[in-house]
Amino acid sequence: MLFRNIIAAALLTLAPVAAHAQHLLVPMDDDQADHLRAYGLTYNALKDGAKAEWLLNYRGGSFLLPDTPEMRRRAGLAGVTVVPVNDAAVAGIRSEMASGNMDAIPLEKAPRIAVYTPPSAPPWDDAVVLALRYAGIPYTAVWDEEVERGDLSKFDWLHLHHEDFTGQLNKFYITYRGAPWFVDMQNENLAMAKKLGFPNVPALKKDVADKIRRYVMNGGFLFAMCGATETLDLALAGHDVDIAAAYADGTPMDPNADAKMDWARALAFRDAHLEQSPYVNAMSDIDGHQVNVPGRRQPLGTFTLFQFSAKLDPVNTMLVQDHRTVIPDFYGVTTSFMKNRLKPGDVVLADEPGAPWVKYIHGDYGKGSWTFLGGHDPEDPQHAIGSPPTDLSLHKNSPGYRLILNNVLFPAAKKKPLKT
Amino acid sequence: MPSVRDVALIACVMLTGAALTPRVARAQQQSFGGPAYMRALDLEQQNHYAEAAAAYKEVLAHDATSLPALLGLERVDAQLGRSDSLLPIVDAAIARQPHEAAFRTIKLRTLHSLGRFDEVRAAFERWRADWPHDAEPYRAYAKLLIQDGLTAEADSVLHRGEADLGSARQFAYELAQLRAALGQWEQSAAAWRVAVADKTYLDQAAIFSLTPVSVDVRPRIRAVLMAPPATVAARRILAGLELNWGSPRDGWLAIKDLPPDTAAVDAWLDFSRRAEEAQSWLTARDALVAVLARQRQPGLAGRAATDALSGGDARSAALLAAQAESLMDSSAAAGSVLAVHLRALSILGRPEEGEHLLAAYAGYLDADTRDRLTKDVAWGWIRMGNMAKAKALLASSGLDVDGEAEGWIALYQGDLATARKRLKPSDDAASPPLVLALALLQRTKADSAPAVGQAFLALARADTAAAAAAFEQAASAVPDAATLLLATAAQLDADRHDARAVTLWQLIVQQHADAPEAPEAELEWARALRRSGQASAAVDRLEHLILTYPQSALVPLARRELDELRGALPSTS
Repeated sequence: MLFRNIIAAALLTLAPVAAHAQHLLVPMDDDQADHLRAYGLTYNALKDGAKAEWLLNYRGGSFLLPDTPEMRRRAGLAGVTVVPVNDAAVAGIRSEMASGNMDAIPLEKAPRIAVYTPPSAPPWDDAVVLALRYAGIPYTAVWDEEVERGDLSKFDWLHLHHEDFTGQLNKFYITYRGAPWFVDMQNENLAMAKKLGFPNVPALKKDVADKIRRYVMNGGFLFAMCGATETLDLALAGHDVDIAAAYADGTPMDPNADAKMDWARALAFRDAHLEQSPYVNAMSDIDGHQVNVPGRRQPLGTFTLFQFSAKLDPVNTMLVQDHRTVIPDFYGVTTSFMKNRLKPGDVVLADEPGAPWVKYIHGDYGKGSWTFLGGHDPEDPQHAIGSPPTDLSLHKNSPGYRLILNNVLFPAAKKKPLKT
Repeated sequence: MPSVRDVALIACVMLTGAALTPRVARAQQQSFGGPAYMRALDLEQQNHYAEAAAAYKEVLAHDATSLPALLGLERVDAQLGRSDSLLPIVDAAIARQPHEAAFRTIKLRTLHSLGRFDEVRAAFERWRADWPHDAEPYRAYAKLLIQDGLTAEADSVLHRGEADLGSARQFAYELAQLRAALGQWEQSAAAWRVAVADKTYLDQAAIFSLTPVSVDVRPRIRAVLMAPPATVAARRILAGLELNWGSPRDGWLAIKDLPPDTAAVDAWLDFSRRAEEAQSWLTARDALVAVLARQRQPGLAGRAATDALSGGDARSAALLAAQAESLMDSSAAAGSVLAVHLRALSILGRPEEGEHLLAAYAGYLDADTRDRLTKDVAWGWIRMGNMAKAKALLASSGLDVDGEAEGWIALYQGDLATARKRLKPSDDAASPPLVLALALLQRTKADSAPAVGQAFLALARADTAAAAAAFEQAASAVPDAATLLLATAAQLDADRHDARAVTLWQLIVQQHADAPEAPEAELEWARALRRSGQASAAVDRLEHLILTYPQSALVPLARRELDELRGALPSTS
């Protein structure tokens, strides 16, 4: 540790005048001026064909990039702190990493990114889109039409945010049925369902959910937040059951829907009870916080990231790289996941100690994997419809947003056989 | 001194009194001011809730329909967590006076606080059935639903009221709030229009409710509030909104063409006060001038003159000050508007007129005021470049030229050595000309530069075009401060036309890259390019700035501009 600090201090001092070294260390601890753009710098280096390394658990999960004039230029423009290091210094870093819970993971290829979002959605209502745009990471927006025609196979990584895959439009009907934005959303979804030959929105969304499931099974990486986590699994498990209220598909929910759910088809959850009332703004008992149900709403606390063995469990370690381990919680349509609704194979990445729910989970499915993070926006804990968008230039060191960007970058890692 | 809670409680009691109908008020007189009630109130203020509850009940034992006592009991029972015990007492009051809306409302509120929502609904239905032509049940129930965020249910209740009573007018206020909560801004604005037509005091609530609408929705709100027939109440809402949205000039345009009756004049006066608070001085001036056309009050003319001067319109300030003087007696004018008038004349380069004016009012001024005003007039001569006249005026009043004045006179004459000795940072250091002068005198080693003096003189006369040209010309006279003078010229040019300013910024960046002004020049150059739609060129400049001057304090600003150009951040407009 002492060696690392001495080297780091010496190099940081030299940084402004250093001649080209062999590498640029992108520290991700508190020395980093802009954590979020550090991911963009690394992603774009990979996109341009450079090789990089993710130094797991080393100084907050630092990156090692080749030292080139262009890399320095980009770092300077983005305000990302970089430290030029020569081979000898890198050898010192590797030696220190070998003796602790750290490991270097080669990053080889920038993943092709898709974000599932309706064409009319403002780009500022999705934390992942905010993070991607701020970090300068390119993405392609896809929606039902693209999913239905099989375009997901063109992408390595897919993000879902607050789409309601039960087709009930997040039950906003209860409160916002007359609001122009809700009417537009309803019409847009209905028009797409008709265009693609489905009788109603729930039928379309179930089919889309199933295609997303197949995408993961075939090796895709799925990252979902907010309501998309819970409703994707409900749509998958309820594939052959009417789980939508009458306002969505013309018929009431099957009163025996709970018993008919096929949880084997779901990615993360099991045995959930569906909310039968169309007038209660909750989908099921998967979410622990139930933010939109006044009598059930739970207060926000903090969640703690789990520590994993970098050498034995690199994937989970990548997903929790952060310069903070305790992070303030934030609400979403789905904020958290009840422990008693998780499948046995789920890996819990973060939970709220003492609470019956967890925040951040991961699992494998077929050849691919999924990661679910509850909540809507890590820097807007009480986010409400109509709230102004989060300006990430004011949150460039956000530990919550880092979790999102860990997910963006981890598919770039060269696959190593899991040692556990 | 009463605590905040005491004040709130007293206000609550006062409002209760104000809300009573005359009939109830008469019935309540005894209990409202009676000793038992006062004792209950005292106990409540001292947080002795159990004893207060007993005292309120004592009042109610004598008069079961005492509304103040019922409201007091409602408050203290809530503190004691036993609101359910209030229900039989409220029911008794309702049984005696079934038409009294306040008792019904207490019942709804109490059941609601207990979470007995089905009973709230039942109580509403009962109230509605008992008084089918009364709007109050719908309003009270809808208010509770809105409070719970059950906007759709509240909407249904109000629609039902509208259908039952045959008009939505009585629910305009609730509908306006509801539509705003639903994000139905146009409908909300339309409902506010109706609500303020009957209750003009709701205009502030309307402004508060509609202020959050996004930029793209604002034109539709404007259309609703500007739609014929023009009403003062609706236009006042729009004027207030425009002030809150940062467009005070549009606010004035919303009300300026109203027929000039009493209500319109009140609106203009109110707007002028708000515009002054927003430091939109010339808009405030315009509103006051409109009022002056109807009410020739000297105080208003004085305010208008002061606002004009604060807004940089010395010509208008002088005219309005003269008008104010004509409406006042000499003594009052000397004590108020004369200073504004003299300062305006000084800025306008009319010191001779100022001297005459000062002489005319001399008899009404005390010595200190006269000295201060004499200095103001002397500054007029200084700005004219007539140092002899300035000195003569000061001497005629037995005044010396003080250090700062000497410094400015020296600077205007190009005597940088004397200016360097005399001009010091002062409380007025925020004054841009002083900051600029001190920066220049610190930077250059030159002791004399008449061209620099001419430039500062033009600036003092508010002749920015001449000042820009003079600063640019002076740059060659003091090479060691050339970039400072060029940057000043560019900034002055930019207020009128970017092209000339861009040439100067370009010159600084390309030929004086090491100058302290270079990063600022590059940032301003980029901004000018952005304004003219040359986004790509602006990006080049911003990138160059960030990479060339990484330690500059302007880098975060440059990075933000770059982010906005690339769409990496949400728009802030």
